[in-house]
Amino acid sequence: MALIEVSNLKKSYGKLDVLKQITFDVNKNDVVAVIGPSGSGKSTMLRSLIHLEEIDGGSICISGEYLVRDGIYSKPQEIKRITSKMGMVFQHFNLFPHLTVKENLELAPRLVKKELNAEIERRSKELLEKIGLSDWATAYPGKLSGGQKQRVAIARALMMNPEILLFDEPTSALDPELTGEVLQVMKQLAEEHMTMIVVTHEMGFAKEVANRVIFMDNGEIIESGHPTELFTNPKFERTKAFLKRSLK
Amino acid sequence: MSINYFISILKPMLEGAQMTVLLFLIAIVLSIPLGFVLTLAVRSSFKPVSWFAQIYIYVMRGTPLLLQLLFICFGLPMLPVIGDYLVLDRFVAACLGFTLNYAAYFAEIFRGGLMAIDKGQYEAAQVLGLNKWQTMTRIILPQMFRIALPAVANESVTLVKDTALLYAVAVPELLHYAQTVVNRDFTIVPFFIAGIIYLILTLLLTVLFKWLEQRFKFD
Repeated sequence: MALIEVSNLKKSYGKLDVLKQITFDVNKNDVVAVIGPSGSGKSTMLRSLIHLEEIDGGSICISGEYLVRDGIYSKPQEIKRITSKMGMVFQHFNLFPHLTVKENLELAPRLVKKELNAEIERRSKELLEKIGLSDWATAYPGKLSGGQKQRVAIARALMMNPEILLFDEPTSALDPELTGEVLQVMKQLAEEHMTMIVVTHEMGFAKEVANRVIFMDNGEIIESGHPTELFTNPKFERTKAFLKRSLK
Repeated sequence: MSINYFISILKPMLEGAQMTVLLFLIAIVLSIPLGFVLTLAVRSSFKPVSWFAQIYIYVMRGTPLLLQLLFICFGLPMLPVIGDYLVLDRFVAACLGFTLNYAAYFAEIFRGGLMAIDKGQYEAAQVLGLNKWQTMTRIILPQMFRIALPAVANESVTLVKDTALLYAVAVPELLHYAQTVVNRDFTIVPFFIAGIIYLILTLLLTVLFKWLEQRFKFD
C-alpha cells in the first residue's frame, strides 16, 4: 500500500485552476522530487498535503487514512492527527526568532507530544550533532546564516518523528554557496530511508538523490518517472522544453 | 532665594508629582491589557464586535483627550435620568478617561505588531501541531510585544506629559501646585522645577524601555 495516495486533486482561485486532477502515489522510503516552472502549482500541491491549503475536490490519503475524501475533509481532530505524520520544511525557514535554536527544536515536542524532558533533550542534542550545529544550541536564529537556519528547520521537523518530510523549495532562498550544506543533510536523510517529497529547482538533487521525479506544468502532472529516464529521455515536448531551460 | 523657600515650594510639588505618577501607573496598567483586548476585538470574525471596536478606536483617537475628560467629569452627571448615578470622584474619572483613551492607542500599536508577523510563523506552528492558543501565547504574542515595544515606550512618555491635563479637571497634581506658587509668589522657579520633575520621570521611563528592548533583543 502506498504511504501517500493522491487522486484527482483540484483547486482553483476563482476562474484560475491551479490544480487540475492531480493523481500520484508515494511509497514508503521514496524520495520524490517535484519540478516544474514557477506557477505550475507544485507548492500548492505540496502544501495541500499538510493542510496549509484547502483543496476543492479529490482525495488525499496518508498511510491509509483520508485527510480528504472526494473533496470532503475529515473532522478537525482527525486532520490534526493525520497531518502530524508529516513534517514540513519551508522556503523561508520560518524559525521562531524569539526562541533559541534549542528552544525551536524542543517547543513542539514539549507542548504537543508532552514527552519527558530528558527524552526531548536527548533527541535535540542528537539532531543538533547530526546537522553539525551543536555549538549553536543557545544562539537565536538571527545569528545564523541561511544554510544554518534551514538545517535547524529540518532538525525541528525531525524532532516530531514524522513518517514523511515535505520540503517546499528548501534551497531557493539561499545564496548558491549555502545550498550544498542543506542538500547534504537531505541526502543523508534519503540514505536513512526517510520518505520525502521535495519541491525543488535543484536539478542536481533531483537527479542524484530522488528515486522519482514528477514534472508539473500549469496545474497538471505532465510526466513522472525515474530521474535517469525523465532527464535523458523525456516523453513530452513541455518536459523537454523545461529541462532544456533549467539544465542550461 | 533661600534654601528654606526652595524646600517649601518643592514639598507640595512633590506631592503633586505623586498624583501624576499614580495616575500614570493606573492608566498604563489598565490601558495596555484593555488595548490588547481591543486589538483582538478588531480582528474578531464576529463582525459586530469588530465594528464596535473599530468605532470605539476611531472616536477615542479622533477627539481630544481633554474633551473626553471634561465629558466624563462634567458631562456624564448632566445626562437625564442616569446622570445622578454618574457623579464620579474627579481622580477616578480622570483614571477612567486616560485608560479608555490610551487603550485605543495601544490597540493600534498592538495591531501593527500583529500585522508585522510573517504568516510563515503561523504555518510553522500549525505543521508542528500547536493549537491556536499555544500558537498565540508561545509564538505570536512574544513577537508582537517585542515589535510593539518602541511604540509603547513612545506612548508611555506621552502619557506622563498628558497627566498635566488633570489641571483642567481640578485634580491637584504637579502642574497645579507649580501654577499656584507662581501666582502666589510671582516667581517662575516652580515652572522650572515642574519641568525638571517631568524630565526625570520621562528619563526613568526611557531607561526602563531601553533596558526592556535590550533584554528582548533575540539576536
